[in-house]
Amino acid sequence: MDEEKRLSRKTNILFSVIAVALLCVLLFPLYWALITSLKTEQEIFQNPPTFYPHILNTKSYAAQVETGDFNMFRSFANSFLISMGATVIAVLLAVPASYGIAKYHFKARKAVLLSFLVTQMLPVSVLLTPMFIMFKNMHVYNTWVAAVLADATIGIPFSVLILKNYFASIPKDLEEAAYLDGCNKFSAFVRILIPIAKPGVMVCAIFSFLYAWGDLAYGMTFILDQEKRPITAGIFNFMGQYGTKWSYLTAFAVVTIIPVAIIFIFMQKYIVSGMTSGAVKG
Amino acid sequence: MAKIKKFFRYENVGILFVLPAFLYMLVFVGYPIIHNLILSFQDVNAGNLVRGTKNFILFDNYLELFQDSVFTASLWNTLRFTILCLVFQFIVGFALALFFSQRFSFAKPVRGILLVPWMIPITVTALMFKLLFATDIGIINFLLRSLHLIEKNIEWLTTPGTAMFALICANVWIGIPFNMILISTGLTTIPKELYESASIDGAGKVQTFWRITLPLLKPTIESVLILGFIYTFKVYDLVYVMTSGGPVNSTHMLSTYSYKLSFEMFKYSKGSAVANVLLMILLFVGVFYIRATTEGEND
Amino acid sequence: MKKKKLTALLTAVAMMTGILSGCGSKGAESAPAEKTPAADEASTEQESAGGESGGTAAAGDAQPITIWYYWENEGHQATLDQLIQEYNGSQDQYAVTAKYVPFADFKKQLSIGASADELPDIAILDSPDHASYVDMGIFEDLTGKFDVGNYYEGTVNSCTVDGKLYGVPFGANCLALYYNEDMLTAAGGSVPTTWDELKETAKALTTDAVTGLAFCSVQNEEGTFNFAPWLWSTGATSYDINNENGVRALTFVQELINEGVMSKECINWTQGDVMNQFIAGNVAMMVNGPWQIPTMQSEAPDLNWKVTLIPKDAQYASALGGENYAVVTGGNVDGALDFLTFATSEEKVKFMMNQFGYISADKTIAESQFAEDSPYYPFVEELNYAMARGPLAEWPGVSDAISLAFNQVITGTATPEEAAAQAQATIDGIVK
Repeated sequence: MDEEKRLSRKTNILFSVIAVALLCVLLFPLYWALITSLKTEQEIFQNPPTFYPHILNTKSYAAQVETGDFNMFRSFANSFLISMGATVIAVLLAVPASYGIAKYHFKARKAVLLSFLVTQMLPVSVLLTPMFIMFKNMHVYNTWVAAVLADATIGIPFSVLILKNYFASIPKDLEEAAYLDGCNKFSAFVRILIPIAKPGVMVCAIFSFLYAWGDLAYGMTFILDQEKRPITAGIFNFMGQYGTKWSYLTAFAVVTIIPVAIIFIFMQKYIVSGMTSGAVKG
Repeated sequence: MAKIKKFFRYENVGILFVLPAFLYMLVFVGYPIIHNLILSFQDVNAGNLVRGTKNFILFDNYLELFQDSVFTASLWNTLRFTILCLVFQFIVGFALALFFSQRFSFAKPVRGILLVPWMIPITVTALMFKLLFATDIGIINFLLRSLHLIEKNIEWLTTPGTAMFALICANVWIGIPFNMILISTGLTTIPKELYESASIDGAGKVQTFWRITLPLLKPTIESVLILGFIYTFKVYDLVYVMTSGGPVNSTHMLSTYSYKLSFEMFKYSKGSAVANVLLMILLFVGVFYIRATTEGEND
Repeated sequence: MKKKKLTALLTAVAMMTGILSGCGSKGAESAPAEKTPAADEASTEQESAGGESGGTAAAGDAQPITIWYYWENEGHQATLDQLIQEYNGSQDQYAVTAKYVPFADFKKQLSIGASADELPDIAILDSPDHASYVDMGIFEDLTGKFDVGNYYEGTVNSCTVDGKLYGVPFGANCLALYYNEDMLTAAGGSVPTTWDELKETAKALTTDAVTGLAFCSVQNEEGTFNFAPWLWSTGATSYDINNENGVRALTFVQELINEGVMSKECINWTQGDVMNQFIAGNVAMMVNGPWQIPTMQSEAPDLNWKVTLIPKDAQYASALGGENYAVVTGGNVDGALDFLTFATSEEKVKFMMNQFGYISADKTIAESQFAEDSPYYPFVEELNYAMARGPLAEWPGVSDAISLAFNQVITGTATPEEAAAQAQATIDGIVK
């Protein structure tokens, strides 16, 4: 297929070396987090700093598994449920919406687009009280449904904005060909356009997932039972009144990254090809 | 019935596609926005949050704000922070997207791994950068000293100017993958044939970039910038954890100040007013964006 | 259980995708996921599963009583849990459960809860905030219901507004000076008792790797708590700063920074961070509270340290800290009172305080709580000089002005005189 313009062997090596160098620089903070998590607190405070743990300390990881009311595995399950739920809602609602905005020039189009943007313009802190009241009235307060509903409000506008460019870039003839084949507007959208926009949908799903995954404010405010809270809530075990325990905290960072990273690695084939395969052919 | 059917023929059918998402956002964010607007015109504090009367004082909160030096400083900080972050993360992100769009062996996996900063909750990222920028034990000072770029440790987070710099660094670090991935996906929408015909016409790389890549990427760039602007402008967790608005209020942002007023000082109405100023500025930017992006379209 | 939930969700997801994939189906009108029966089932299941957390599950028709608290410390959580279990086991009318709300979120959650009428029955909150919530009207008047005659005056003051008692002190703490004994001996110094001695000792202890003194100077309530001893020691009050005394306190802090015996980083160090620096050997003396002792003993068992009174300028002074119990209006007041009566009995107080590393707010208990060679003992002595912040509904505003002032001085963005004048102007605007 895409055989055009393969790089020469030399450039290939050069570029790969540059890529790895970039990776090292950009991900240095992560390396630092990893080795900090394996140091003792004394060593962390040592001056000058050490570049690898001289005394290996794995206590910090043991503390992640269970601290008081906090259970890491349960929190992971909660986070997955919440993030998946929010992603599903965001994608299901945003894909048709972005298509509608990109392909149909109805009158209120600009206003609708602006209103999606407006929903992102308030800081989270002032959204908490009214949302809380709403969720209480809907009887979903203190369940993961509340966090799902709230987290989806970040993913939807984001996805609409990104996807509308995608749909707009798809030539009209493709759709028209589908109509000739007997599809109506909805089936053409589902059968022809969504598959073409797959890279965009993939990226929106990923970002919606990660927005929800990283959320702390909604999960903390709308869910009161520690056993229902997302993994991000665990951060409070290691910082606060009793001081920031750097080894625990960085171990926490490492632990929160791992499952998502594993999913990414396993699904990389799909994600990366989804993200970067040429969308429009001709 | 027939009328409705007629209405949804042609362009208006788009409304049906948009409606579910629109209603969802209207319910879950529309109400909070109105709630917040009303609150900002009242005089709600600890004394009358639950009991007592909430008086409408209209614009008094807003007028008070503009006499408040912390507020004006926050406004200025937020603008400065947003623009600097946006410039750096966009340029670096764009450059990386272009670089990784080349077909070399490591391009795809490395680009995938570069998304990792996005998987870390922002509060954790903020703490990590706090550690990196610590004066005595921080690795950044150590590296700078080792390279003989500085002689004395820089007090990054305890000096007003450098604290802002540290915040920008942390935020750019989070923002780079965001920009890179979105621009990468945008690049895939550009038909390869265009590049091919350009190279047949003898256009150089630079020319191709200016004549094909940039114009065709315009909608993506606009979306990335507006989203970046909005998300950066209401930055909260990062600042709250790294500096809490300090030292001496020098890194307070509108969002952190709003939070402080509402939930630490019990000045709920004033906190809402700050949030609304933030919203107004973003609304202005948003309208500008919509205008610019839909310009020339025949509505 | 968990598996079931997951299956339910997956079914919901599958159903969603099913709706979309068919050609010609009305995909765009699909309802949000939570409306599907499968997801609904999952959420009700969640609700019923998460009902009881802390104590033993309620048998029959015991009335639920909820407590909010903010200790992230595992030991504290376990101790509170034990108290609750004992209470729940002792009677069957009420079933108490405790919910952890992080300290950083506590005020926010109470504010939101008050707006939404979704509050616990009992709150265990930081004492300086107490008056603000009384002002909000969410706490019950407990006057005459508890005997606080033997309690330290400051602790009772912190939950008293207009002569009425709106809470019961949970426990007391205050700040004192910790010093690294080995470093002090090596430097040939003696234990400081006055500001001048303190500065000299700190100088002697400061080396390339060690700074002499540290106390948390974060620009918030925690910082104010740590600055108050210096301010009050001069004779200044929290409301009267722009005078010789207030300026002297600010100048003293400025000198500590300028002479390099205290690190500027203190404005970013919480009390816990200060302790971590101390046990890492980077700081030779620190101001901190007794709640750090259990952690210090377990994390740095070999560290040789002692506690003494905070050195004085004109008089000894310290800031009083600790939590108060409050009963929330509109909740199950009878049940809350019943639990508090149980929890404030002498036996239970002793148990809680010893486990927590706290000092009892009850003077008679406190005085016999520790042996003279216990590291806690100096704190009991210090308590006699400790004063409460506030109590004042607008205390957060006053505290903010004070913490801004010492942060300005520490960072060198204002002189002590300027900072004092600015703080005074703000405070005068709040307290007329």
